[in-house]
Amino acid sequence: MISTQEFSYIPAEAEAEAASNSYLMSLIAIIAGLPLPIINLIATLVFYLGNRRSSYFVRWHCTQALLSQFSMLFINSYAFWWTISIIFQDESISSEYIAYLIVAIVFNLTEFIATIYTAIQTRKGIHVEWWFYGNLTHTFCKEEI
Amino acid sequence: MKKIVLQGSLLILLFLGSWFALRQIDWMNIFEVEKAKDNTQESLGELFLETYTQAENQNFNSQVVEPMDSIINHIAKANAFDREYIKVHIIEKDEINAFALPYGHLIINSGLILNCDNQEELIGVICHEIAHIELDHVMKKLVKEIGLSVLISMASGNSGGDVIKESLRVLSSSAFDRSLEKEADLKAVDYLVKAKVDPEPFAEFLYKISKLESDATQYFNWVSTHPASKERATYIIEYHDNELSDYQSILTTETWESLKAELAKSSNHLVN
Repeated sequence: MISTQEFSYIPAEAEAEAASNSYLMSLIAIIAGLPLPIINLIATLVFYLGNRRSSYFVRWHCTQALLSQFSMLFINSYAFWWTISIIFQDESISSEYIAYLIVAIVFNLTEFIATIYTAIQTRKGIHVEWWFYGNLTHTFCKEEI
Repeated sequence: MKKIVLQGSLLILLFLGSWFALRQIDWMNIFEVEKAKDNTQESLGELFLETYTQAENQNFNSQVVEPMDSIINHIAKANAFDREYIKVHIIEKDEINAFALPYGHLIINSGLILNCDNQEELIGVICHEIAHIELDHVMKKLVKEIGLSVLISMASGNSGGDVIKESLRVLSSSAFDRSLEKEADLKAVDYLVKAKVDPEPFAEFLYKISKLESDATQYFNWVSTHPASKERATYIIEYHDNELSDYQSILTTETWESLKAELAKSSNHLVN
Protein backbone atom coordinates (compact mmCIF):
# COMPACT_ATOMS: atom_id res chain seq x y z
CA MET A 1 0.00 0.00 0.00
CA ILE A 2 2.91 2.32 0.72
CA SER A 3 6.05 2.14 -1.35
CA THR A 4 9.39 3.91 -1.22
CA GLN A 5 10.28 5.31 -4.64
CA GLU A 6 13.20 7.11 -6.19
CA PHE A 7 12.47 10.83 -6.53
CA SER A 8 13.75 12.78 -9.51
CA TYR A 9 16.31 14.49 -7.30
CA ILE A 10 17.61 14.28 -3.72
CA PRO A 11 15.70 16.78 -1.60
CA ALA A 12 17.48 19.25 0.63
CA GLU A 13 17.10 19.22 4.40
CA ALA A 14 14.63 22.17 4.41
CA GLU A 15 12.50 20.50 1.72
CA ALA A 16 12.33 17.25 3.68
CA GLU A 17 11.24 19.19 6.75
CA ALA A 18 8.51 21.13 4.89
CA ALA A 19 7.26 17.95 3.16
CA SER A 20 7.12 16.12 6.48
CA ASN A 21 5.25 19.05 8.03
CA SER A 22 2.44 18.71 5.46
CA TYR A 23 1.62 15.29 6.96
CA LEU A 24 2.12 16.51 10.52
CA MET A 25 -0.33 19.31 9.79
CA SER A 26 -3.15 16.83 9.22
CA LEU A 27 -2.19 14.92 12.37
CA ILE A 28 -2.21 18.04 14.54
CA ALA A 29 -5.53 19.08 13.00
CA ILE A 30 -7.07 15.78 14.09
CA ILE A 31 -7.01 17.09 17.68
CA ALA A 32 -9.21 20.03 16.71
CA GLY A 33 -10.87 18.26 13.82
CA LEU A 34 -12.29 15.21 15.54
CA PRO A 35 -15.79 16.61 15.92
CA LEU A 36 -15.73 18.41 12.58
CA PRO A 37 -14.08 16.43 9.78
CA ILE A 38 -13.61 19.47 7.55
CA ILE A 39 -11.04 21.01 9.94
CA ASN A 40 -8.40 18.44 8.88
CA LEU A 41 -8.95 19.23 5.24
CA ILE A 42 -8.81 22.98 5.82
CA ALA A 43 -5.54 22.67 7.76
CA THR A 44 -3.94 20.59 5.02
CA LEU A 45 -5.35 22.89 2.34
CA VAL A 46 -3.92 25.98 4.05
CA PHE A 47 -0.53 24.29 4.24
CA TYR A 48 -0.82 23.24 0.60
CA LEU A 49 -1.69 26.76 -0.54
CA GLY A 50 1.22 28.17 1.46
CA ASN A 51 3.62 25.78 -0.27
CA ARG A 52 2.21 25.62 -3.79
CA ARG A 53 5.16 27.59 -5.13
CA SER A 54 7.74 25.55 -3.21
CA SER A 55 10.07 22.95 -4.62
CA TYR A 56 8.70 19.90 -6.42
CA PHE A 57 9.36 17.54 -3.47
CA VAL A 58 7.43 19.78 -1.02
CA ARG A 59 4.57 20.40 -3.46
CA TRP A 60 4.30 16.72 -4.25
CA HIS A 61 3.96 15.67 -0.64
CA CYS A 62 1.60 18.55 0.22
CA THR A 63 -0.62 17.35 -2.63
CA GLN A 64 -0.54 13.72 -1.50
CA ALA A 65 -1.45 14.78 2.07
CA LEU A 66 -4.27 16.98 0.76
CA LEU A 67 -5.74 14.31 -1.52
CA SER A 68 -5.73 11.69 1.23
CA GLN A 69 -7.51 14.12 3.54
CA PHE A 70 -10.03 14.91 0.84
CA SER A 71 -11.28 11.34 0.57
CA MET A 72 -11.39 10.99 4.34
CA LEU A 73 -13.61 14.08 4.39
CA PHE A 74 -16.39 12.19 2.56
CA ILE A 75 -16.18 9.18 4.85
CA ASN A 76 -16.04 11.24 8.04
CA SER A 77 -18.69 13.78 7.02
CA TYR A 78 -21.14 11.00 6.29
CA ALA A 79 -20.43 9.46 9.72
CA PHE A 80 -20.73 12.88 11.37
CA TRP A 81 -24.11 13.80 9.85
CA TRP A 82 -25.46 10.30 10.38
CA THR A 83 -24.56 10.62 14.08
CA ILE A 84 -26.15 14.08 14.28
CA SER A 85 -29.37 12.77 12.72
CA ILE A 86 -29.45 9.93 15.28
CA ILE A 87 -29.07 12.35 18.17
CA PHE A 88 -31.36 15.10 17.00
CA GLN A 89 -33.69 13.60 14.40
CA ASP A 90 -35.73 10.50 13.82
CA GLU A 91 -32.85 8.19 12.89
CA SER A 92 -31.95 5.50 15.38
CA ILE A 93 -28.83 3.45 16.02
CA SER A 94 -28.69 0.36 13.82
CA SER A 95 -26.25 -2.41 12.95
CA GLU A 96 -25.82 -0.64 9.59
CA TYR A 97 -24.67 2.53 11.38
CA ILE A 98 -22.30 0.65 13.71
CA ALA A 99 -20.83 -1.24 10.72
CA TYR A 100 -20.24 2.09 8.94
CA LEU A 101 -18.52 3.53 12.02
CA ILE A 102 -16.24 0.48 12.28
CA VAL A 103 -15.20 0.72 8.61
CA ALA A 104 -14.72 4.50 8.96
CA ILE A 105 -12.57 4.02 12.07
CA VAL A 106 -10.45 1.33 10.33
CA PHE A 107 -9.93 3.61 7.28
CA ASN A 108 -9.09 6.57 9.53
CA LEU A 109 -6.68 4.48 11.58
CA THR A 110 -4.96 3.16 8.45
CA GLU A 111 -4.65 6.69 7.13
CA PHE A 112 -3.38 7.89 10.52
CA ILE A 113 -0.65 5.22 10.68
CA ALA A 114 0.30 5.80 7.04
CA THR A 115 0.53 9.55 7.71
CA ILE A 116 2.84 9.08 10.71
CA TYR A 117 5.03 6.66 8.77
CA THR A 118 5.20 8.97 5.76
CA ALA A 119 5.94 12.02 7.93
CA ILE A 120 8.92 10.17 9.45
CA GLN A 121 10.20 8.91 6.11
CA THR A 122 9.88 12.21 4.26
CA ARG A 123 11.66 13.95 7.15
CA LYS A 124 14.62 11.71 6.28
CA GLY A 125 14.29 12.79 2.67
CA ILE A 126 12.84 9.43 1.57
CA HIS A 127 10.13 9.69 -1.06
CA VAL A 128 7.07 7.64 -0.11
CA GLU A 129 4.14 7.05 -2.46
CA TRP A 130 0.78 5.74 -1.32
CA TRP A 131 -1.22 3.27 -3.33
CA PHE A 132 -3.72 5.19 -5.54
CA TYR A 133 -2.89 8.58 -3.96
CA GLY A 134 0.66 8.45 -5.29
CA ASN A 135 -0.49 7.99 -8.87
CA LEU A 136 -3.24 10.58 -8.39
CA THR A 137 -0.70 13.06 -7.04
CA HIS A 138 1.49 12.54 -10.11
CA THR A 139 -1.39 13.67 -12.36
CA PHE A 140 -1.97 16.84 -10.34
CA CYS A 141 1.58 17.74 -9.40
CA LYS A 142 4.12 18.24 -12.18
CA GLU A 143 7.79 19.08 -11.81
CA GLU A 144 7.34 22.27 -13.82
CA ILE A 145 4.91 24.80 -12.28
CA MET B 1 -5.06 7.46 -15.93
CA LYS B 2 -6.70 4.03 -16.35
CA LYS B 3 -4.62 2.76 -13.44
CA ILE B 4 -5.82 5.61 -11.21
CA VAL B 5 -9.47 5.00 -12.05
CA LEU B 6 -9.02 1.28 -11.40
CA GLN B 7 -7.25 1.85 -8.09
CA GLY B 8 -9.83 4.48 -7.05
CA SER B 9 -12.68 2.12 -7.89
CA LEU B 10 -10.99 -0.68 -5.95
CA LEU B 11 -10.63 1.61 -2.94
CA ILE B 12 -14.32 2.57 -3.08
CA LEU B 13 -15.24 -1.10 -3.54
CA LEU B 14 -13.08 -2.04 -0.57
CA PHE B 15 -14.88 0.52 1.57
CA LEU B 16 -18.38 -0.38 0.44
CA GLY B 17 -17.62 -4.12 0.47
CA SER B 18 -16.31 -3.98 4.04
CA TRP B 19 -19.37 -1.99 5.07
CA PHE B 20 -21.70 -4.44 3.37
CA ALA B 21 -19.97 -7.43 4.99
CA LEU B 22 -20.00 -5.87 8.46
CA ARG B 23 -23.68 -4.93 8.08
CA GLN B 24 -24.53 -8.61 8.14
CA ILE B 25 -23.45 -8.82 11.79
CA ASP B 26 -26.00 -8.02 14.48
CA TRP B 27 -23.97 -5.29 16.19
CA MET B 28 -27.01 -4.06 18.14
CA ASN B 29 -27.06 -7.38 19.95
CA ILE B 30 -23.28 -7.62 20.38
CA PHE B 31 -23.01 -4.15 21.90
CA GLU B 32 -26.32 -4.57 23.79
CA VAL B 33 -27.40 -1.16 22.49
CA GLU B 34 -31.07 -1.63 23.33
CA LYS B 35 -30.23 -2.82 26.85
CA ALA B 36 -27.97 0.19 27.45
CA LYS B 37 -30.67 2.51 26.08
CA ASP B 38 -33.29 0.87 28.31
CA ASN B 39 -31.08 1.16 31.38
CA THR B 40 -30.50 4.87 30.77
CA GLN B 41 -34.21 5.49 30.16
CA GLU B 42 -35.19 3.46 33.22
CA SER B 43 -32.81 5.41 35.48
CA LEU B 44 -33.97 8.73 34.05
CA GLY B 45 -37.66 7.80 34.28
CA GLU B 46 -37.35 6.78 37.91
CA LEU B 47 -35.30 9.84 38.76
CA PHE B 48 -37.83 12.24 37.21
CA LEU B 49 -40.79 10.41 38.73
CA GLU B 50 -39.23 10.45 42.18
CA THR B 51 -38.46 14.17 41.90
CA TYR B 52 -41.97 14.98 40.64
CA THR B 53 -43.87 12.88 43.16
CA GLN B 54 -41.81 14.28 46.04
CA ALA B 55 -43.48 17.62 45.49
CA GLU B 56 -46.94 16.36 44.47
CA ASN B 57 -49.50 13.87 45.80
CA GLN B 58 -49.97 10.74 43.77
CA ASN B 59 -53.46 9.22 43.85
CA PHE B 60 -53.44 5.47 44.60
CA ASN B 61 -57.20 5.19 45.17
CA SER B 62 -58.39 2.00 43.45
CA GLN B 63 -61.52 3.78 42.20
CA VAL B 64 -59.23 6.11 40.28
CA VAL B 65 -56.38 3.77 39.35
CA GLU B 66 -58.52 0.87 38.10
CA PRO B 67 -60.58 2.85 35.54
CA MET B 68 -57.33 4.41 34.25
CA ASP B 69 -55.77 0.94 33.98
CA SER B 70 -58.85 -0.25 32.08
CA ILE B 71 -58.40 2.56 29.57
CA ILE B 72 -54.69 1.81 29.05
CA ASN B 73 -55.35 -1.98 28.86
CA HIS B 74 -57.99 -1.44 26.21
CA ILE B 75 -55.81 0.86 24.08
CA ALA B 76 -52.76 -1.40 24.45
CA LYS B 77 -54.70 -4.52 23.50
CA ALA B 78 -56.31 -2.88 20.49
CA ASN B 79 -53.02 -1.47 19.25
CA ALA B 80 -50.79 -4.42 20.20
CA PHE B 81 -48.18 -2.53 22.18
CA ASP B 82 -46.56 -3.62 25.43
CA ARG B 83 -49.02 -2.71 28.18
CA GLU B 84 -46.46 -3.26 30.94
CA TYR B 85 -44.26 -0.50 29.51
CA ILE B 86 -46.89 2.21 30.09
CA LYS B 87 -46.97 3.18 33.76
CA VAL B 88 -49.73 5.65 34.63
CA HIS B 89 -49.44 7.99 37.60
CA ILE B 90 -52.39 10.14 38.65
CA ILE B 91 -51.25 13.31 40.37
CA GLU B 92 -53.62 15.40 42.46
CA LYS B 93 -53.09 18.76 40.85
CA ASP B 94 -55.56 21.29 39.41
CA GLU B 95 -53.35 22.20 36.46
CA ILE B 96 -54.75 20.76 33.19
CA ASN B 97 -51.72 18.76 32.17
CA ALA B 98 -50.52 15.34 31.12
CA PHE B 99 -47.01 14.46 30.02
CA ALA B 100 -44.73 11.55 29.37
CA LEU B 101 -41.48 10.80 31.17
CA PRO B 102 -38.77 8.42 29.96
CA TYR B 103 -39.32 4.66 30.28
CA GLY B 104 -43.06 4.80 29.72
CA HIS B 105 -44.07 6.82 32.77
CA LEU B 106 -47.24 8.74 31.99
CA ILE B 107 -48.22 11.55 34.36
CA ILE B 108 -51.86 12.67 34.35
CA ASN B 109 -53.01 15.52 36.54
CA SER B 110 -56.42 15.20 38.17
CA GLY B 111 -57.19 18.71 36.80
CA LEU B 112 -57.10 17.31 33.27
CA ILE B 113 -59.52 14.46 34.06
CA LEU B 114 -61.91 16.79 35.90
CA ASN B 115 -61.98 19.18 32.94
CA CYS B 116 -62.81 16.50 30.38
CA ASP B 117 -66.53 16.49 29.52
CA ASN B 118 -66.46 12.85 28.55
CA GLN B 119 -64.10 9.88 28.68
CA GLU B 120 -63.29 10.12 24.94
CA GLU B 121 -61.63 13.50 25.49
CA LEU B 122 -59.41 12.03 28.20
CA ILE B 123 -58.64 8.91 26.16
CA GLY B 124 -57.64 11.18 23.24
CA VAL B 125 -55.11 13.03 25.41
CA ILE B 126 -53.83 9.74 26.86
CA CYS B 127 -53.38 8.32 23.34
CA HIS B 128 -51.51 11.48 22.34
CA GLU B 129 -49.07 11.02 25.26
CA ILE B 130 -48.74 7.27 24.60
CA ALA B 131 -47.89 8.16 20.99
CA HIS B 132 -45.05 10.37 22.27
CA ILE B 133 -43.80 7.41 24.33
CA GLU B 134 -44.15 4.82 21.56
CA LEU B 135 -42.53 7.10 18.96
CA ASP B 136 -39.59 7.73 21.31
CA HIS B 137 -40.20 11.50 21.31
CA VAL B 138 -39.45 11.86 25.01
CA MET B 139 -35.78 10.94 24.83
CA LYS B 140 -35.34 12.89 21.60
CA LYS B 141 -36.73 16.00 23.24
CA LEU B 142 -34.50 15.57 26.28
CA VAL B 143 -31.39 15.04 24.16
CA LYS B 144 -32.23 18.11 22.12
CA GLU B 145 -33.05 20.41 25.02
CA ILE B 146 -30.79 19.10 27.75
CA GLY B 147 -27.94 17.38 25.89
CA LEU B 148 -26.77 13.80 25.76
CA SER B 149 -23.85 14.19 28.16
CA VAL B 150 -26.03 15.78 30.87
CA LEU B 151 -28.59 12.97 30.49
CA ILE B 152 -25.93 10.27 30.84
CA SER B 153 -24.50 11.96 33.94
CA MET B 154 -28.04 12.24 35.32
CA ALA B 155 -28.73 8.54 34.68
CA SER B 156 -25.52 7.61 36.47
CA GLY B 157 -26.45 9.82 39.43
CA ASN B 158 -23.86 12.52 38.85
CA SER B 159 -26.14 15.47 38.32
CA GLY B 160 -27.43 18.12 40.68
CA GLY B 161 -31.03 18.63 41.74
CA ASP B 162 -31.37 21.88 39.77
CA VAL B 163 -30.52 20.15 36.49
CA ILE B 164 -33.06 17.40 37.21
CA LYS B 165 -35.77 19.98 38.05
CA GLU B 166 -35.01 21.97 34.90
CA SER B 167 -35.21 18.79 32.77
CA LEU B 168 -38.50 17.91 34.44
CA ARG B 169 -39.80 21.40 33.69
CA VAL B 170 -38.88 20.91 30.02
CA LEU B 171 -40.83 17.65 29.92
CA SER B 172 -43.87 18.85 31.82
CA SER B 173 -44.24 22.43 30.63
CA SER B 174 -43.09 22.64 27.06
CA ALA B 175 -44.37 21.13 23.86
CA PHE B 176 -42.45 18.97 21.42
CA ASP B 177 -41.53 20.22 17.94
CA ARG B 178 -44.52 21.01 15.75
CA SER B 179 -43.80 18.02 13.52
CA LEU B 180 -43.55 15.68 16.54
CA GLU B 181 -46.82 17.05 17.97
CA LYS B 182 -48.57 16.44 14.67
CA GLU B 183 -47.09 12.96 14.42
CA ALA B 184 -48.33 12.19 17.96
CA ASP B 185 -51.78 13.63 17.20
CA LEU B 186 -52.24 11.51 14.10
CA LYS B 187 -50.85 8.42 15.82
CA ALA B 188 -53.32 9.10 18.66
CA VAL B 189 -56.16 9.10 16.11
CA ASP B 190 -54.93 5.73 14.81
CA TYR B 191 -54.85 4.36 18.36
CA LEU B 192 -58.36 5.69 19.04
CA VAL B 193 -59.83 4.26 15.85
CA LYS B 194 -58.26 0.84 16.47
CA ALA B 195 -59.59 0.94 20.05
CA LYS B 196 -63.02 1.85 18.62
CA VAL B 197 -63.04 5.16 20.48
CA ASP B 198 -64.45 8.16 18.64
CA PRO B 199 -61.57 10.63 17.93
CA GLU B 200 -63.90 13.60 17.44
CA PRO B 201 -64.21 14.42 21.15
CA PHE B 202 -60.39 14.65 21.24
CA ALA B 203 -60.53 17.25 18.46
CA GLU B 204 -63.42 18.96 20.24
CA PHE B 205 -61.36 19.03 23.42
CA LEU B 206 -58.64 20.86 21.50
CA TYR B 207 -61.23 23.28 20.07
CA LYS B 208 -62.64 23.82 23.51
CA ILE B 209 -59.32 24.56 25.07
CA SER B 210 -58.15 26.63 22.11
CA LYS B 211 -60.77 29.14 23.21
CA LEU B 212 -59.07 29.23 26.58
CA GLU B 213 -55.67 29.80 24.99
CA SER B 214 -56.10 33.55 24.91
CA ASP B 215 -56.38 33.65 28.66
CA ALA B 216 -54.28 30.58 29.28
CA THR B 217 -52.98 30.53 32.79
CA GLN B 218 -50.95 28.00 34.71
CA TYR B 219 -54.11 25.89 34.92
CA PHE B 220 -54.15 25.25 31.19
CA ASN B 221 -50.63 24.00 30.85
CA TRP B 222 -51.26 21.16 28.40
CA VAL B 223 -53.03 23.62 26.13
CA SER B 224 -50.83 26.67 26.41
CA THR B 225 -47.70 24.64 25.75
CA HIS B 226 -49.18 22.83 22.76
CA PRO B 227 -49.29 25.46 20.01
CA ALA B 228 -52.23 26.17 17.73
CA SER B 229 -54.75 23.79 19.26
CA LYS B 230 -57.38 24.94 16.76
CA GLU B 231 -55.15 24.00 13.85
CA ARG B 232 -54.49 20.63 15.50
CA ALA B 233 -58.19 20.02 15.98
CA THR B 234 -58.73 20.75 12.28
CA TYR B 235 -56.15 18.32 10.98
CA ILE B 236 -57.32 15.65 13.44
CA ILE B 237 -60.85 15.97 12.04
CA GLU B 238 -59.53 15.93 8.46
CA TYR B 239 -57.30 12.91 9.13
CA HIS B 240 -60.11 11.05 10.79
CA ASP B 241 -62.68 12.06 8.19
CA ASN B 242 -62.51 8.89 6.16
CA GLU B 243 -62.32 6.53 9.07
CA LEU B 244 -65.60 4.90 9.89
CA SER B 245 -66.07 2.69 12.88
CA ASP B 246 -68.71 1.55 15.32
CA TYR B 247 -67.46 3.37 18.36
CA GLN B 248 -67.85 2.21 21.91
CA SER B 249 -67.09 3.45 25.42
CA ILE B 250 -64.30 1.87 27.41
CA LEU B 251 -65.72 2.81 30.80
CA THR B 252 -69.35 2.63 31.78
CA THR B 253 -71.02 5.97 32.52
CA GLU B 254 -71.12 5.03 36.21
CA THR B 255 -67.38 4.27 36.33
CA TRP B 256 -66.56 7.50 34.52
CA GLU B 257 -68.73 9.53 36.88
CA SER B 258 -67.35 7.76 39.94
CA LEU B 259 -63.78 8.38 38.72
CA LYS B 260 -64.50 12.11 38.43
CA ALA B 261 -66.31 12.16 41.76
CA GLU B 262 -63.37 10.51 43.54
CA LEU B 263 -60.94 12.97 42.00
CA ALA B 264 -63.20 15.91 42.84
CA LYS B 265 -63.34 14.68 46.42
CA SER B 266 -59.52 14.51 46.62
CA SER B 267 -59.28 17.90 44.96
CA ASN B 268 -61.67 19.47 47.50
CA HIS B 269 -59.80 17.73 50.27
CA LEU B 270 -56.58 19.36 49.00
CA VAL B 271 -58.18 22.80 48.88
CA ASN B 272 -59.57 22.41 52.37
